[in-house]
Amino acid sequence: VSPAAIVSRFSLLDAAIAAASLGVTLWIGVRVKRYVGTIEDYLVASRGMGLYVGAASLLSTEVGIITYMYQAQFGFVAGFSAFVVGLITLAVCLAVGRTGFVITRLREMRILTVPEYFEKRYGRGVRVLAGVLMAFGGSLNLGIFPIIEARFLAIVTGIPARYLGWTMAGLLLVALAYTAIGGMVSLIVTNYVQYVFLAAGTVVVTLVCLREVGWGGMVRAVDAHMGGHGFNPVQDLGVGFIVWQVLLWIALMTVWQSVAMRTFSTKDPGVGKKMFTLTGFLFLGRALIPMVWGIAALAFFWGRAEPVATPGGTPAAQVEQLAASVNATYRGDLDSGRLGRALPQVDLLERLAGQEKSRSPEAARPEPARLEASARDRRGEIGLVAMPWMLAATLPTGLLGVVVAGMLAASISTYAGYFLSWAAVIAQDVVSPLLSGGTSVGPVPRKAAELTGPSASSTSPGGASHADAPLSNPSRLLLTRVTVVALTVFIMIWSLVYDLPGPAYFYLQVTANLFMAPTLIAVVGGLYWRRSSATGAALCFVLGALASLGYLVPWLKLDVATAGNLSWALAVAGFVLGSLLVPPAARGQEAAA
Amino acid sequence: MSWALVWLVAFAVALASFVLISLAIAVRGIGEIRELFAALEEERRRKSS
Repeated sequence: VSPAAIVSRFSLLDAAIAAASLGVTLWIGVRVKRYVGTIEDYLVASRGMGLYVGAASLLSTEVGIITYMYQAQFGFVAGFSAFVVGLITLAVCLAVGRTGFVITRLREMRILTVPEYFEKRYGRGVRVLAGVLMAFGGSLNLGIFPIIEARFLAIVTGIPARYLGWTMAGLLLVALAYTAIGGMVSLIVTNYVQYVFLAAGTVVVTLVCLREVGWGGMVRAVDAHMGGHGFNPVQDLGVGFIVWQVLLWIALMTVWQSVAMRTFSTKDPGVGKKMFTLTGFLFLGRALIPMVWGIAALAFFWGRAEPVATPGGTPAAQVEQLAASVNATYRGDLDSGRLGRALPQVDLLERLAGQEKSRSPEAARPEPARLEASARDRRGEIGLVAMPWMLAATLPTGLLGVVVAGMLAASISTYAGYFLSWAAVIAQDVVSPLLSGGTSVGPVPRKAAELTGPSASSTSPGGASHADAPLSNPSRLLLTRVTVVALTVFIMIWSLVYDLPGPAYFYLQVTANLFMAPTLIAVVGGLYWRRSSATGAALCFVLGALASLGYLVPWLKLDVATAGNLSWALAVAGFVLGSLLVPPAARGQEAAA
Repeated sequence: MSWALVWLVAFAVALASFVLISLAIAVRGIGEIRELFAALEEERRRKSS
């Protein structure tokens, strides 16, 4: 039992290793500038990406420090049941890789962004609407990355809080520098180097977890401290959550802009399909490995738990006294790594408040219910920082540098990939179409779209939608680069002002779901359903986004799975009803309306 | 088969495939990057000529 604060052993040697990794990445990223001449070079590397580099680029982009933190948090609060998400991801990747569902058709069209398809199929209005929602949801999604990642770096390296803002600004600037200059070409090359650092750091942390706690220790901790939960995902997470995850991962693997850009960058559709099969197993690791870190942290800190003195008096008085005791020490414990004291206190408070709540109706005495919910939130907050505190407590000098280098690589590659993805949507699908005027409001002729697909218009780089754009190639390149800079500024501001309503994992998935459900439904409907219309697509986006926003509005009290599934249901309903009520045959009427 | 055993097998598969595929990426990736540079260089020459 140790009430002592945890102090990281991060030294000058570790700092030198981390700084060297950053320097190498920046140097490589900037050097490839000479290969970027056109917007197609910039956004999809002239579609020359191979299988292994593609897999590295895809995973580097989709794994950041934040990914490891929220997956570890999920493992900490849900135990092994969280693994079901990794299995779903693997199944979806293998299915998409095997069938080429959506990705093959989109790759054949030689488009640059997903909303570009909507202009070809439904018209410019739908493209801009989709672009606005993607830019909004994508930016909100990315906006909490820096503040959560800053917590990781502060804990593991021991950087004082006053320097954290500057540290994060420095990381964002490194990513910004080579992304703005070299675009996708820089990303592909740096992602390869970053992947090597990331993989090395991941393996080191996993070995440390297994050495410190062992698999048996993790199983015993989940068994002892999760009240009979932590193993059966159907019982713990519910069928609704699992169904929502399946739908969400199908959307993420097919139309999530940063993933889709990798598909668009592959040499040919066949390489795209193989890339998904290969990365399916990497995505399994992306989920399960950090979840194991979270479970290891649970076992690690329960192994160091201080006994909590049960207060005397009536049950109601016990709850009140314990709540006061937790309030007095909780924040300090979280900031100094004394989770061996905070965790049992919060656990006991949650149980006692839960028992007290069940004794009397909530309406008569709301306090126990509030305290139980507060304790549950605090358990989630402990889960977010437990993994980095465990690393700070266990990693020796030298290895800390390797792990931090790996985490920085993961983080910067994610920023760079997302900067490019969302900036591409904002510049190509919102600003550029609006600047180009309203000459092309309708979809491509039905027959042409069906027989040859929009690839028929792909003689110019990026597809026909660019043919009527008034912006020259250099102007579009400049516009995208300026958007990357603006996005970086927004993200720094948002990460400072926004307060998370719940676990990071749920926030990230709900902001993604703002546009994921409508995007997948409108793409699949457009590709595979003749009757789909622009009205249906527009309704699909509006209703799907409104349902997801419900989770971010506290007084609606929508839980995450309900908001997610509601988004899918309303998006489908809007798409089908809109398409049936205003079918494509009445397109002229739609345009007039 | 118990849930604990299912999750142990799943984790073993995840870790082993992560290590093996990462090694394959490290070895094969260099060649692909060279090919990408060559293709981009060729494209640049073609456009400038």
